[in-house]
Amino acid sequence: MKNLPKFSAMNLDFFYGGFRALEDISITINKNQVTALIGPSGCGKSTFLRCLNRMNDLIPGIRVEGTVQLDGEDIYAPSVDVVNLRRRVGMVFQKPNPFPKTIFENVAYGLRVNGVKDKKSLQEQVEKSLHQAALWDEVKDRINNSALGLSGGQQQRLCIARALAVEPDVVLMDEPASALDPIATQKIEDLIHDLKKNFTIIIVTHSMQQAARVSDITAFFYMGKLIETGDTETVFTRPSLQQTEDYITGRFG
Amino acid sequence: MEDRKHFIDELEKLKMMLLNMAALTQKAFIRANQAYLTRDEALSREIIDGDRAINDIEVQIDNLSLRLLALEQPMARDLRLIIGTTRISSELERIADQAVNIAERTLFLCQHPPLAPIQAMDRLMEVTGNMLDHAIRSFADLDPKKAMSIREMDDAADQWTMEVLQTLIDNMVQNFPAGEKRLINTRRSVQTIIISRCLERVGDHSTNIGEHVAFISTGINVKHQKVL
Repeated sequence: MKNLPKFSAMNLDFFYGGFRALEDISITINKNQVTALIGPSGCGKSTFLRCLNRMNDLIPGIRVEGTVQLDGEDIYAPSVDVVNLRRRVGMVFQKPNPFPKTIFENVAYGLRVNGVKDKKSLQEQVEKSLHQAALWDEVKDRINNSALGLSGGQQQRLCIARALAVEPDVVLMDEPASALDPIATQKIEDLIHDLKKNFTIIIVTHSMQQAARVSDITAFFYMGKLIETGDTETVFTRPSLQQTEDYITGRFG
Repeated sequence: MEDRKHFIDELEKLKMMLLNMAALTQKAFIRANQAYLTRDEALSREIIDGDRAINDIEVQIDNLSLRLLALEQPMARDLRLIIGTTRISSELERIADQAVNIAERTLFLCQHPPLAPIQAMDRLMEVTGNMLDHAIRSFADLDPKKAMSIREMDDAADQWTMEVLQTLIDNMVQNFPAGEKRLINTRRSVQTIIISRCLERVGDHSTNIGEHVAFISTGINVKHQKVL
């Protein structure tokens, strides 16, 4: 289980029209680890995150060069089914975005889209996902109430449960706690620790303390380039490059 | 581009506090040696009284360090500077205690006729004084090379300590017939041996400071390791 590659990007370039947002990114992301992507606004970390499940495809005028492999297969190959890719590589966003449906239906949504009809299977999987997202105890008595009645922190864990329900390999998190209060943030961070047993997690965060707390590996992006990747402990105690040092000690950015 | 100006100013203040503490400690050490060599009781008392100021700075350094750790979430070199500074201040505090110890022994020795000068003691003061000086300068410049060079002087310090010990053992067993004079001679010899031990400890603490400076500047923990 140690250090098996899940994703690997090789010489990845990404363009929004004429603007090169990512330049020659090569990185291996290991299975069952939490990898944090850090860097100042506009450094390309979220763009890179969205390359990993082809969320950027939805933006007109983009172009990708180089390769991104998931379990050794090129995810930009023409034969790839993007819907299936996004089932394997789930995503959680900055702002909790539950559907205006019941708690149950939110979590069951992906399963239904994937053709699960059996009521018992649906119920089992919804409960399992809510347990995994550490939300079950808080919602088990009101599972058929609207998800919109949950607090922000609960909504975000619901979105995580929704992402987990379709049993992805990887969960991408784009600043998942930036809209939450400290207690809800701590719950999400604890959850991330628990989830890495079963999932590979890649998180974009603006909080360096959060990256330091939750991740095993930290990757520092700056102006579209991957500057330094390393064990989180090393990056935050003795980074190898001055640029990384300056960023994490708050000298710029 | 310099952000976090307030925090960086606070770190600079922490560094200045440590350098101030180092200067007072070094002064106490040099004056303790001088008091011993010149049998100066008044100077010995000044050193003993002056220790409080050094202890006070240690407490201030601890408080500021704790505050910066709690409130600023320092990372990388800033984190290492704060951790290293608290460690160095505790080494300095112990060095200052050794200076006080030397001054207290000197007060005792001043009550009795002097021993013949011990050359090895002069050498020991010289080498441990150099070690402390290197330690402080290596911190001021955050120079890991200078910091690690302190270790190389430690063998000489140990050697001169042994030589002082041997000289005083010889003195105790050879020179006096049994009686009051022999008792006094044994007492002053033992007190002088304690002084040599204090000096040797100053060398050890200076070596430790060097290791902390190497940690601050490189991030590598060199304690109990042969090479940097």
